[in-house]
Amino acid sequence: MSRHDAASVPDRLREAGGLLEGVARDIARETGVPEAHVWGIGSFYHMLSRSEAKVRVCTGLSCLLGGAQEVLDAAKAQGLPVEEASCLAGCDVPPAVLRDRRTMPHVTVEDVKAAGSDWSKLDSAAAPGETEWTGAVGPEGAADGELAIDLCKPAAPLGAAFKAASELGPEGVIDLLEAAGLQGRGGAGFPAHIKWRGVAGQAEQERFVVLNADEGEPGTFKDRECMLRRPDLVLEGLAIAAHAIGAKDCYLYLRGEFEVPLGIIRRMIDEAHASGIYGDIHFHTHEGNGAYICGEETALLEALEGKRGMPRIKPPFPVEVGLWGKPTLIHNVETIACVPGIVERGGEWFRGLGRTEAGTKLYCVSGHVGQPGTYELPLGVSLDELVAAAGGYVGELKAFSPGGASSGFLPAERRGDPLDFAHLGGLGSMLGSAGVVVLNDTVDMRWAAAQQLRFFEAESCGQCAPCRIGTRYLRESVERQARGDDVDGPLANAADAAWQMNEGSICGLGQAAPLPLTSALKYFPEAFEEETSKEG
Amino acid sequence: MIERSEPDPPKRPARSIQVDGRQMPFQAGETILEVAQRAGAEIPTLCHDPRLEPAGACRTCLVEVEGQRRLLPACKTPAQDGAEVRTETERIDRHRKTLFALYLTDHPQDIEVAERGAPNELLEMAARYEAPRDWGFMESLRDNRDADRNPYIHFNADTCISCARCTRYCEEVEGVSAITLAGRGAETTIATVDGLSLMDTTCEMCGGCVDVCPTGAMGEKMPLTREAKPERELTKVRSTCNFCGVGCQLDLNVDPDANDGRGQVVKVTSPPAGTTTNDGNLCVKGRFAYDFIHHEERITSPLVRNDAGELVPTSWENALSVAAAGLHGVSERHGPNGLGFVSSSRCTMEENYLVQKLSRAVFKTNNIHQCAAT
Repeated sequence: MSRHDAASVPDRLREAGGLLEGVARDIARETGVPEAHVWGIGSFYHMLSRSEAKVRVCTGLSCLLGGAQEVLDAAKAQGLPVEEASCLAGCDVPPAVLRDRRTMPHVTVEDVKAAGSDWSKLDSAAAPGETEWTGAVGPEGAADGELAIDLCKPAAPLGAAFKAASELGPEGVIDLLEAAGLQGRGGAGFPAHIKWRGVAGQAEQERFVVLNADEGEPGTFKDRECMLRRPDLVLEGLAIAAHAIGAKDCYLYLRGEFEVPLGIIRRMIDEAHASGIYGDIHFHTHEGNGAYICGEETALLEALEGKRGMPRIKPPFPVEVGLWGKPTLIHNVETIACVPGIVERGGEWFRGLGRTEAGTKLYCVSGHVGQPGTYELPLGVSLDELVAAAGGYVGELKAFSPGGASSGFLPAERRGDPLDFAHLGGLGSMLGSAGVVVLNDTVDMRWAAAQQLRFFEAESCGQCAPCRIGTRYLRESVERQARGDDVDGPLANAADAAWQMNEGSICGLGQAAPLPLTSALKYFPEAFEEETSKEG
Repeated sequence: MIERSEPDPPKRPARSIQVDGRQMPFQAGETILEVAQRAGAEIPTLCHDPRLEPAGACRTCLVEVEGQRRLLPACKTPAQDGAEVRTETERIDRHRKTLFALYLTDHPQDIEVAERGAPNELLEMAARYEAPRDWGFMESLRDNRDADRNPYIHFNADTCISCARCTRYCEEVEGVSAITLAGRGAETTIATVDGLSLMDTTCEMCGGCVDVCPTGAMGEKMPLTREAKPERELTKVRSTCNFCGVGCQLDLNVDPDANDGRGQVVKVTSPPAGTTTNDGNLCVKGRFAYDFIHHEERITSPLVRNDAGELVPTSWENALSVAAAGLHGVSERHGPNGLGFVSSSRCTMEENYLVQKLSRAVFKTNNIHQCAAT
């Protein structure tokens, strides 16, 4: 069984139409992967294990606020093969609906009715047919050099920054990153140059660059916009990274729901390969199959190797032991897209773009705001400033999540605080992926917390008990409490369970999963006093 | 001249870590768990098995390491020179109590159900660390494989804790990979390809999955049908498997009250890994084919035929002389090659050697065979 054969298992399952009877055995015969393992792999990924569901309606918080439940009910009433989906990275275009592997924006009850009973006819009037739709972005009309990425500018020809990086040499590029103070923009905010230097310094000469485009944190959709609008920066950044750390192969892992971004990225890859502009550096794309956890870097590596996407125990970190056991540099899309600008304009320039921390940042805003979308602003702006850029508040601000579901909730009083890694971390929250979800005073915070818990329960990989059992335990506790089933308080043990999940879980999913509940209990205790929960 | 009034400071071993304040030397590659166990520290484990690659999945063995923000799995973390490890602190105590409390919400409350077939290490640990038992209960969402018609192995998903010891054993020790972790989240279970019976997979019925399971979720079918007592009420008698010449050690689990007080073997288990040459492993015969022991047709004394051709019990002395006389008679009447010897693969190598010596040296024939030779 070769590395390549093993890695091909998810693709083969997808091509076979999912985990249907007999398929696993056939694939085992073709690849040499044990048949039970093929079965285990297929059963892990929802788009493979439940391939009969052709329509998936996002029931994330922002999409529910945008009418997802009505769309889901209508689809069910019409007998469409539909189920609920975890966040589809379309919080700015709610409700987002997946048809097969295509995510469609703003799907309405009318759209569903127009499809009748044929799922393949379901289309979005907002982006019909093969439209390569994009979301709202800003600010428009920024001067050259004012923004690190600038989603409003057209894609630039490939090669200029790569050429500059080649002239600088690997050490020079990494020194620039250090001077820039670039922090990883996938969630952790880890200094990028430490990873680059870490991989470059390994004795093992076979190394890889991996792009994490498995964007799935509820409230987050910036990487989607990056790939739709500036795929040039993504490829250029990857090529520079490969050059700097001595890698030949770059693997791009896109979530399977990103059919439209994948098409755009692939066209640009073909262009890069055909032009030979990056020499012997090659790009490989991999489609996910429906598992939020694969956004966790080591789970992503497992998935790339064709396995169940269960996080590895760290240490060792991917810098040392990554893809196929080799040193691997793995970065979020936005982080990589910042690299060409830094190489061309310098570290000081990038650092100067930020307010409290380095650089501009793609903030995603959804929920109760006038113009949900992706806004590139100095790192460290306040919620008020961000929402002003996004068309203002709708209704009276009650609470917000600054960085996706994993960041929990903050109360309206924090509207003036800087949205950055250090400050939010100090509050027990986090900037995370900067998926800002704004909730107004019509939202019941117990209901909102329950929605986030439901998400984590659905997406727990099941490897470790604190997360596998804890996510379900907390969700059931809140629902029981909302029903008034409160014998000596089902939430009585929530604090201990949350503590255990945070201390005991293997990865960030389980560690962060209790935060929506614990933060809601902390800032909005009154929401947990009433017996019945109003739907938001 | 150098004055040496001070004695040399006590030498620290080349490589050592501190375990609860005690300095412990270690060899490169050892984990914190291995070193701590040598130091006599008590660290609970569920997913760990010395025969397997550490998984770090059950989270019971988390310990504190100075300078590390997070608790680390002792089973998976290599010992590093100078590390200060603590295995008994308030934080670790809270960790164990709350972790086991969560486990118990997802585990059968009925002790008889939870203990069916095998000792339940999870329940024992939860009791030892005084985990709260009042956190409520959630019905299992894990798929069973009740329709599996295989005669030996029963999977009771309700008591499964998804530690994957069974699937890892099946892959790493047996090289069979008949079972897998399947599904995800709360639905994570142990499955076969297409949900088939183990009989229709690559499974060799070695029963290793039953042996490594810490909660008895992987259990043996036969005792269940015989309503055997919990394993802790059985008496273990160490014996040598007599199905082949390898000499695997096994433990006959005897119910002393059964069989009208004469006792009955109701189960076979393997000795713990690392204690005998078979390292805790057995095959389908040793682990499951023990019902011959009490079979009513089992021959328990030598038999010879009488003049009427009927088999009648006799002494070993008489039986052997009858056999010797018969063999010599054939040899005299038909020559040495009128005889042939067939030995059994249930004999040891030494016994097989003696049979061929009997054949060649005593009866002067090379007609000697052994049933495993073909």
